[in-house]
Amino acid sequence: MSEVLRAEGLSKRFTGIKANENVSFSMEAGSIRAIIGPNGAGKTTFLSMISGHLPPTTGKIFHKGQDVTRMDVVKRARRGILRKFQTPSVFDELSVYENLEIAVLGTNRAADPRPARIRSVLETVRLADRPDALCKHLSHGQRQWLEIGLLLGRNADLLLLDEPTAGMTAEETAATASLIKELTKDHTLSVIVIEHDIDFIRDLEAPVMVLHLGEVLTEGSFDSVANDQRVRDVYLGT
Amino acid sequence: MTQDLVSQKVKSVSGRLSVPSGEPALAVVLFAILALIPVVAGGYIVYVLPQYMIFGVLALSLGLLWGYVGILSFGQAAFFAVGAYVTGIVMGADFGINPVYLAVLAATGAGCLVAAIAGYFLFSAGVRATYFVLVTLALSIMAEQIAVSQSQITGGWNGMYVNRPELPFGPIGSLSLGGDYVMYYVVLPLVALAYFIVRWLMAARFGKVLVGVRENEDRMIALGFGVPFYKTAAFALSGAVAGFAGALYALHSSFVSPSLGGVLFSTEVVVWVAIGGRLSLLGALVGGIIVASLSNYLSAVAPDTWQLMLGVLFIIVIVFFKRGLAGAVSDGVRLLTAQRGQTNE
Repeated sequence: MSEVLRAEGLSKRFTGIKANENVSFSMEAGSIRAIIGPNGAGKTTFLSMISGHLPPTTGKIFHKGQDVTRMDVVKRARRGILRKFQTPSVFDELSVYENLEIAVLGTNRAADPRPARIRSVLETVRLADRPDALCKHLSHGQRQWLEIGLLLGRNADLLLLDEPTAGMTAEETAATASLIKELTKDHTLSVIVIEHDIDFIRDLEAPVMVLHLGEVLTEGSFDSVANDQRVRDVYLGT
Repeated sequence: MTQDLVSQKVKSVSGRLSVPSGEPALAVVLFAILALIPVVAGGYIVYVLPQYMIFGVLALSLGLLWGYVGILSFGQAAFFAVGAYVTGIVMGADFGINPVYLAVLAATGAGCLVAAIAGYFLFSAGVRATYFVLVTLALSIMAEQIAVSQSQITGGWNGMYVNRPELPFGPIGSLSLGGDYVMYYVVLPLVALAYFIVRWLMAARFGKVLVGVRENEDRMIALGFGVPFYKTAAFALSGAVAGFAGALYALHSSFVSPSLGGVLFSTEVVVWVAIGGRLSLLGALVGGIIVASLSNYLSAVAPDTWQLMLGVLFIIVIVFFKRGLAGAVSDGVRLLTAQRGQTNE
């Protein structure tokens, strides 16, 4: 399998604060990776360096073998690295369908016309029955899904999801886990997820990286991480 | 029953991405009415109405920017003045051929170029919101100052005279714009053309991206859209439309003066569009025509207080009808159709 993303020794220092220190990371195309850690562990900072919203102080980022460390957000997004923000960032005043109409602009594929793609994205993110609803009238969970839908409407290759289940009910959270697994089913799309919800992370059945005080504490399967005494000490609190 | 009501409600809700679908039909009605006015009215109205239609185009240039991209500009008068002066300069030059088409093209291009240059530097530097508005304000001040100070070209405070030309039509002959009726029926289709071109662009991909930028700029960037490029293009288009309006103004009124580029005039454009309704291109156009006509009428009947009255109207609209006349009309239509729907059931 090919590697979709590799980060080498990423550090990010704000004046006096080490948000990330020497974080190295790699993942295969078509896989899911979960990142957990207590508040202030540097999870969102790490994601921002991958998406291009923050330049790393040191270190390098490779997307499908190419160095993207110096590329801005727009260039990385065009390569397929697309980010969902912590608070849903959608077009609130527009309808669900109009949201996706914007997302698919400029992503012409002869074999797959845009209206058909909008429909299939709507089905994937479970909004097929509400295309005309104004986005601001959706529930918080549905807006989270719509934002994932916006990323899918682009030519997405790697999704960066920052707390995708924040504000969701238990059922919605479970549905989101199966949605993410669905997305990577045919092994073309890769997903990095940041989350707090431990049940959700377990449902993802994916390798987990634990960040603590900006550094990698440990990495491994959910069970090995959940049974790691250091992780329990700093994070799970049991 | 309840289910039906709910699904109906959802259907009737649509966002603001698409230009209201009834708008072009309404525009056709408006242009048809304008086309009939010289049949029933005459004299002064036929002379002066094209000027207000031209102001409508100027309002349109701001409407597309303020309504679609959410960028307010106090620089529209500057582009208008650039267009008007370029027209005057080209018309006054000795080319050996009739330069009227060249003048209009050059004026449109000059408005476009000035806006594109200003927009490129501001938007690539990430200048947003209030700071951008302040810079556009400065553009208006500069336009007026340059018009005053470069008097060997512009005539300074004395202004610049532009003769009403003949429109050449190749081998068919030519049409003199000297008469007010001819001028009227030349300006009207050009105003309609400007509206429909802008309307078409805004309904296409370009307009949809702009709405995305207006609604959520950071989201657009994170989706991979080159936002500064689109903003610059929208500003350049706005400058081109304003420059085009300036050219028509110069040809129609035969006189160009520095106040055309001033802050005062720019502010008037903002008032027209706010009253007309910035989220509707037709609203902006109509706002320009109606409020400019109203200003003229009020200034004749109440020379001391007309600006005060206009100010009060502006405040009323801002407080009670945020979406202007166009918003009030579309709300009214929606209310009426909803009531009719209920009585039918």
